[in-house]
Amino acid sequence: MRRPPVRLRMAVAALSLVGLFVSVYLLLNDLGLTGLAACSPGGGCDIVQSSPYSSFLGVPVALLGVLGYLVLFAVAFLGSQPRGVGADWVGPSIVALATVAFVFSAYLTALEAWVIRAWCPYCVVSAVLATLIFALSLAELPPLRGGSPDESDAHG
Amino acid sequence: MEVGLANQNAAPASGGGTKLFYIVLGAIALGGLASIAYTLGASGSTATEPVDLSGLDDPRELYELAVAVKTGPDDAPVKVVEFADYQCGGCRTFALGVVPALDEYIERGEVQFVYYDFPLVSIHAHAFLAARAGRCAEEQGRFWDYHKALFRNQATWARKQDAAPDFVDLAAAEGLDVSSFAACLRSDAHADVVSANRALAEQIGIRSTPTVIVNNRRLVAPSARALEDVVQAELDAAAGG
Repeated sequence: MRRPPVRLRMAVAALSLVGLFVSVYLLLNDLGLTGLAACSPGGGCDIVQSSPYSSFLGVPVALLGVLGYLVLFAVAFLGSQPRGVGADWVGPSIVALATVAFVFSAYLTALEAWVIRAWCPYCVVSAVLATLIFALSLAELPPLRGGSPDESDAHG
Repeated sequence: MEVGLANQNAAPASGGGTKLFYIVLGAIALGGLASIAYTLGASGSTATEPVDLSGLDDPRELYELAVAVKTGPDDAPVKVVEFADYQCGGCRTFALGVVPALDEYIERGEVQFVYYDFPLVSIHAHAFLAARAGRCAEEQGRFWDYHKALFRNQATWARKQDAAPDFVDLAAAEGLDVSSFAACLRSDAHADVVSANRALAEQIGIRSTPTVIVNNRRLVAPSARALEDVVQAELDAAAGG
């Protein structure tokens, strides 16, 4: 039996927590509650967040980020605790959530690059976090048959 | 073999590792909460600086063309001047959440609120048209109602390819004479005034919206409290002087 990569789950939990705060900031900005809402010709977040792409199926993208990171944090945190470490559902859940987050972030980053043509630094930070979390989550996958060393576990 | 190696590495974290994990989580949580509290509390820069009106090529001519929309008496001791863009989220917050704090000062004749358009046309496709729409509403004496309606509905019209029909619908919803409003909007009426407003903003070095000038103090996206503090200080100075 293969044991779960506990330290990597801890790293996923920590990165998700950072992502959670970044998303909360973006959500507050979207709601007009932050003081940094001044607009200037160089300001990226205002352009990105006032674009039609700042909501997805009627839900603000920032809110999706808050919920996504919150769930990822909860699952990774539980999966790093003695009681949750052996639960079968933790690994697949982390992989599934991290994959969705990564694909969605890639879609949003592509929109920023080619459609909106403006960069919101906080959105970019979130995309980097989602990519890192996705890379770490690959350690949850069973090793390939005849397998190469599980590199992401090397520090685990 | 390699599976065994992975198992060893993936063993549950030691007590020291777990402690470090909690310390890192705690640090992230503290840092995140502090940053968000700071952002909410700061609610805009309260840095103030004087407005330098010298150095314009022909300031009088530009100033005459750059007509503002005003509310409150001309002889009010404090003038609160705003340069704003209808498509800017910060201006929406300012118009709907901060300007109402000035109402009682305006009613007492202590403040005159002066609105200049500063459409950031390079980033906001509909800002110039929205500014003209506001001026078209002013023709009917309904500037301030329409001004607020534009901001209230910003999220809707800002996302449209063509915002003009939305502006006309808003005029109808606000009870304006729709046919004359639509005729005004679909002409070049007030384009010169709005352009002059823009030029004036650029001439005095305004770079972002909403920029607010209280007598000679400049504030960017101030909170209601920051604005009231400056207004009160100016009133005290006027009373003392």
